[in-house]
Amino acid sequence: MTAPRVGDSGPAFEVNAITREDIARYAAASGDANPIHRDDEFARSAGLPSIMAHGMLSAGFLASFVTQWFGPDCVRRLKVRFRERVWPGDRLHAEGRVVRLFAAPAGAMAELEVALKRADGTAVVTGTAQVIVTGAYCS
Amino acid sequence: MTSQDGEPLWEYVVELPKVRAFALAVHDRFGAADPPRLPPTFPVCATVEYVTRLIVEQLKLDRRRVVHGEQEYEYIRPLRVGDRLLCRARVVEDFVKTRSRGGEMRFVVTETDMCDALSGELVLRERSTALVIPTAEEEGV
Repeated sequence: MTAPRVGDSGPAFEVNAITREDIARYAAASGDANPIHRDDEFARSAGLPSIMAHGMLSAGFLASFVTQWFGPDCVRRLKVRFRERVWPGDRLHAEGRVVRLFAAPAGAMAELEVALKRADGTAVVTGTAQVIVTGAYCS
Repeated sequence: MTSQDGEPLWEYVVELPKVRAFALAVHDRFGAADPPRLPPTFPVCATVEYVTRLIVEQLKLDRRRVVHGEQEYEYIRPLRVGDRLLCRARVVEDFVKTRSRGGEMRFVVTETDMCDALSGELVLRERSTALVIPTAEEEGV
């Protein structure tokens, strides 16, 4: 087992071009039936070029990046901010960095800064996470 | 259902097919593990109905102008399949800010506590910020 160090950046995590099917699958899985994620006409009436992906789908990708990095059940805190809309066809990847290691009653913890970005580097979701460090750490 | 002080109160049971479907949708590989582990943002499944009702029916906001601003989770312990959660939600902030480039933006912040229905202990807290954005005319563009 390797231990995390401040500055570590996590495993590669990519979402190759979000499809309309991905968005529909998330809508069904989460129960979010907002028409802005499934009805182009409704989306256009809101001034958008097409339906958009759920912010929480992007947040879910970012959370999956964190569990892939520190293992399942690691998350104690996760806070994300939605910065840009995500459209069908967008290619996304996650980036992260360990910014702090500290001790808590639950055990050794790490604080991370994470972001989900488009290929051009634009951050669509940014956030911070506090995770428990276990043997499942994957550098 | 509402609590004694009038806050929305409901029960949510964590079911395996839901966990599997959600994990698949967010590319989380541990939903398929044995035992399955829940994706960190899974609790949104327990609150989506409450938030939708709040925005559409209670506050009567135009969904074309509502965007998701922030989302936060604070876990006391990880969730498990089979957990029965007692959820209690409240609006903790509702304010308007004037934007420098014109128009007003409204912030509606909700907080949901999810407690183990058997032990009564808090399992996690979710905090969600919805933003009501100005229309193009209001921004003067």
